[in-house]
Amino acid sequence: MDGTFAKLAVIGSSAVLILGLVLLWRRRSNAHIAAFSAQSVALAATIALVGHFTGDGQLYTVAAILLLLKGVAIPVLLRRMERQFGAQRELEPYVNTATSLLLGGLLVLLAYVVTRPLVTLSQLPTRAGMPLAMGLIFVSLFVIISRKKALTQVIGFLVLENGIALLAVLGTYGIPLILELGVFLDALMGFLVMQIFVYQIHETFESIDVDQLKGLRK
Amino acid sequence: MNGGLFAALLLPSLGSAAVALAVRPHRRWGSVLGGVFSVGALAAALGLAAHVVGGATPVWGPGELLRADALSALLAVCVAGVAALAALSAPGLDRGRESYDQRQARLFAIFSNLFAFTMLVAVTANNVAVMWIAIEATTITSAMLIPLRVSKASVEASWKYILIGSVGIALAFVGTVLGYFDFVSRVGSHESTILNWTVLRAAAPAMHPQVVQLAFVFVAIGYGTKAGLAPMHTWLPDAHSEAPPPLSAMMSGVLLAVALYAIVRWKAVANAAVGSTFPDGLLIALGTLSIAVAALSLVIQRQYKRLLAYSSIEHTGLICLSLGLGPLGVFAAMLHLVNHSIAKSMMFLLSGRILDRYRAAELAGVSGLLTAMPATGACFAAGMLALVGLPPFGLFLSKFAVVRAGFAAGRPWLMGTVLGLLAIAFVALITQLNRMLYGSPPEGVAIGERRRLGLVPLGMCLGALLVLGLAVPRPVQVLLDGIVEIAGR
Repeated sequence: MDGTFAKLAVIGSSAVLILGLVLLWRRRSNAHIAAFSAQSVALAATIALVGHFTGDGQLYTVAAILLLLKGVAIPVLLRRMERQFGAQRELEPYVNTATSLLLGGLLVLLAYVVTRPLVTLSQLPTRAGMPLAMGLIFVSLFVIISRKKALTQVIGFLVLENGIALLAVLGTYGIPLILELGVFLDALMGFLVMQIFVYQIHETFESIDVDQLKGLRK
Repeated sequence: MNGGLFAALLLPSLGSAAVALAVRPHRRWGSVLGGVFSVGALAAALGLAAHVVGGATPVWGPGELLRADALSALLAVCVAGVAALAALSAPGLDRGRESYDQRQARLFAIFSNLFAFTMLVAVTANNVAVMWIAIEATTITSAMLIPLRVSKASVEASWKYILIGSVGIALAFVGTVLGYFDFVSRVGSHESTILNWTVLRAAAPAMHPQVVQLAFVFVAIGYGTKAGLAPMHTWLPDAHSEAPPPLSAMMSGVLLAVALYAIVRWKAVANAAVGSTFPDGLLIALGTLSIAVAALSLVIQRQYKRLLAYSSIEHTGLICLSLGLGPLGVFAAMLHLVNHSIAKSMMFLLSGRILDRYRAAELAGVSGLLTAMPATGACFAAGMLALVGLPPFGLFLSKFAVVRAGFAAGRPWLMGTVLGLLAIAFVALITQLNRMLYGSPPEGVAIGERRRLGLVPLGMCLGALLVLGLAVPRPVQVLLDGIVEIAGR
């Protein structure tokens, strides 16, 4: 029983991580949005899976909210933004695709090193997935730092949140539901405010290339 | 009784925000009401602190949701005080001469009050996840106000702020999750009280050191980003200089302090789990780097609000460093935090008055301040002297205490370096101050003080700094001793 659970948890977290890596090698925003949406579905499935095997009904609620919010609602808003700005490509990232992928691999390795104490300490059957979650956190940080489009940065941030949610559910079977709701509310508000700013950047700079945001560098 | 105190502390800001949201278009009485309410909240914070000084630890709510020990009480007074200062200088209060329109005044009233509310929740929440949620919400509420006047610079500043701030806060959440990770795997409970700071602190000695160490790194980097510690400080000078002055006052005066508060809470847990060597070392490294970056950047600044922003990095760096210097250091750090809250919020509000008059953000555009605005200029000069750490102001005492704690902790080389860096900052700030104060005002700048009423609260700040410069008052001393106890050795 635990063996199946452990395997399924690793498969789920691998899917979440791999969908996050899409950000590194695809350049078009719609590919990023699709990957994020699929990743949120995979994450919701993983959370529901943990809920099923641990018999924790609260996790089903968390999975359902996550599915609606990040699998459906936020991708819809992202697509609307993308349509408004036209098909924008992430033209020249600060780091090219091949190097990005290589660095992504190294970051996942680093995650294995960092999470060693966690994995050896934990008794949960889900522990093998934790390095993958930490890897996703590192990769999304790298995306936020190395990409120029505000839209890509927002998606990178959303993926970072998914990585943290995955880590929480694998390591601790999720934080208590009432707190999780607060986290969701913050995530939603944060996203909406970022959305406002992306529109403002678009209006004031007529492009959402944050490379132009250099006026204050002194 | 306790419930009433917490309600009196938290509800006024929520009420002002609700009124501002409901009344459309914005009316002047809405801003006046906000000012009155904010003073009420300050009174409640002082009441709460009085209880704590008296030896009580007020707790309220299901699962001890809100709790005020000495650390919370001190921060609550700082937050409520600076929020009151900001509310008394809010756009929309002045009749006639308005540099903000009704829409902007309404936005400010809504979000600045929500901002104050989230900070007050952050410092009174017992649950570390609630604290996290509140601090994350501070980013959202304050970011909304930075581009109150939409310009390329302000949009850029707010984008940087919300992105870097949100990422930092997300890392702090990783730390939060890791912090109770092995606790949960052993206890297996899903009660929401499991994330209560009191519960974590009690369980800390049995926690796994390596995991808590990792958690503390994430927490220190994460909340350190919000506190403006180098090398994660890059958003701070832009955000603090582009925000409307009352918001800058809140961000520089207390938001940084709230982020440091979160670090202190986690440090208490880490100290109990892994001993103080590792957390102290990390805080000292971050603090020293921040002071160095700030001191060197101060030399090349060309705008006075950016000057104040970099000075904030210097002071948070000093507080962070001091937190790593043992019990004496914690005492000095918290004293310095109080002094800095008062001095920096006063300075940002004064800089708002200067900006209104001179219409120039550049240092080069401001001269003859003492001629053009005698009272404002004198306060500004006094505030700057306080910031660089000259007697008879409170910051002199607390900086001195930090240095003493450093030598007592057996770190003469570190303190020598820090003193050298502080000297660089000192020279930079005093040189710039001289250029602003003397000479003749540029043409077209009106001569003579106006809106004297607005100076009254700022004068009170200066008075408070002087009092704190003579001796540490008894109640403050009791609170600080309590905090040293909480932070652990």
